[in-house]
Amino acid sequence: MPMIEVKNIRKSFGSNTVFDDFSVNFDQSGVTVILGPSGTGKSTLLRCINGLETIDAGDILVDSLSVKEKRNLREIRLACGMVFQQTTLFPHLDVLENLVISPVKIQKMDRKEAVDKARALLDKVGLGGREHSKHNELSGGEQQRIAIARAMMMNPRALLLDEITSALDPEMTAEVLRILEKLAGDGVVMLAVTHEISFAQRVADRVIFLEKGNLVADASVDDFFSGIKSNNERIARFLQNISQG
Amino acid sequence: MFEKYLKLTAYDAVFLLEATGTSLWITLVSISIGTVIGVVMGILRNSRNKLVSAIPLIYIEPLRNSPLITQLFLVYYGLPVVSGIVLDSNTAAIITLSLNTGAFFSVLMHNSIKAIPGAQWEAGLALGHSRLSVFINFIVPQVMRLLVPQAITLYINQLQCSSFVSLIGLIDLTKAGNILNLRTMRPFLIWTIMFAIYFIISYPLSQLAKKLEQKVAFSY
Ligand SMILES: Nc1ncnc2c1ncn2[C@@H]1O[C@H](COP(=O)(O)OP(=O)(O)OP(=O)(O)O)[C@@H](O)[C@H]1O
Ligand SMILES: [Mg+2]
Repeated sequence: MPMIEVKNIRKSFGSNTVFDDFSVNFDQSGVTVILGPSGTGKSTLLRCINGLETIDAGDILVDSLSVKEKRNLREIRLACGMVFQQTTLFPHLDVLENLVISPVKIQKMDRKEAVDKARALLDKVGLGGREHSKHNELSGGEQQRIAIARAMMMNPRALLLDEITSALDPEMTAEVLRILEKLAGDGVVMLAVTHEISFAQRVADRVIFLEKGNLVADASVDDFFSGIKSNNERIARFLQNISQG
Repeated sequence: MFEKYLKLTAYDAVFLLEATGTSLWITLVSISIGTVIGVVMGILRNSRNKLVSAIPLIYIEPLRNSPLITQLFLVYYGLPVVSGIVLDSNTAAIITLSLNTGAFFSVLMHNSIKAIPGAQWEAGLALGHSRLSVFINFIVPQVMRLLVPQAITLYINQLQCSSFVSLIGLIDLTKAGNILNLRTMRPFLIWTIMFAIYFIISYPLSQLAKKLEQKVAFSY
């Protein structure tokens, strides 16, 4: 059974219909890279999955729980962590508190246990020793790595990643992608909206290509980059554009 | 033979002290009540329900767009005529100043909440927090940073506005100044003393506002 089932959803903002009768499934394992031109609904898809946006019709099930039921949202969000494009560290808290506060408040985790776990995760993202930095003392790349660690504090089985490196320079991007690669190796399911083709080729199992709310391509990485790329002119042009930056 | 009568005495000092107490008391009570009103109204203003968010405006706008003195006279002289309830000047002063503070505080509260980026809400929700939990753990601390210094500035302003209560017969600081001035015929001396007292109370508060501002500060 898939972990995430998107079933015939419709989603509009006013008169702008982003999805109409859109379906896609995501398995219990693996990394899926979501590609597509700007404004086609990549972010909207991720935000519908964890209930940050409501859907107008159809249904989305995460571990068989419907996002339409308000009481499911907590469990769904704990199962699917999210990291955003822009930095969202809580500015009034230091790095350690950013990580510790949610498991302590939501999962009633023992504080000491949470601190230990936070330290371990900070080590994992290469920021051990930065517990007491404030977010404005951190580079964009460091902030994103902390945002990843913060999401991992809740032990999510999946991560929803919405262009989390697109505001970073290449060096910082590489650092962040290395972390994602490690986590993928640990078996964390990922739905990653990204323009990092090399990351897709190296880490992803599957690539889907969205255009105007439609699934234009859905293939294994190998198939996508060998066959479909050359068979679909629009995808070929898209890939060419993003590889030129 | 009137020489003695024209002088300031120890008795006058006590009189001034009492009057200062009255001004402070009325201000403190009404800014406390006003803050509670303002917090509630400010939060309602931020409701996602359009109707709920509009309702506080019925209270806020009239009070923000009319002179305090008119509000005071309306409560003290006007209200008894239609309601039959006669308020003593103390009560009338506190009611009016509380409502007035509440209206201005609502706006500060509303704007401070609105100033927190939506991404902060979403980050909290995405971690599994309820809206209430996001509000308490992430939004309120950030709101305080914006709100506290502005609130103290409002409080200082309300202390100064409390001088209007002298016009409905309360012996506050300004009224006491008036009385002493009429007796001693020394306007410069008396009003300098009044000025100094208001200043001595207000200035440390505005310094405190600065301190608190630094204490709750963090940068984005
Ligand atoms: N909160 C919103 N209110 C109104 N319209 C929105 C909102 N969010 C997204 N949209 C619209 O929905 C469509 C899909 O937006 P979305 O952000 O999902 O695209 P995207 O594929 O993530 O694009 P990008 O690559 O630029 O991030 C766009 O037309 C966008 O303008
Ligand atoms: Mg997007």
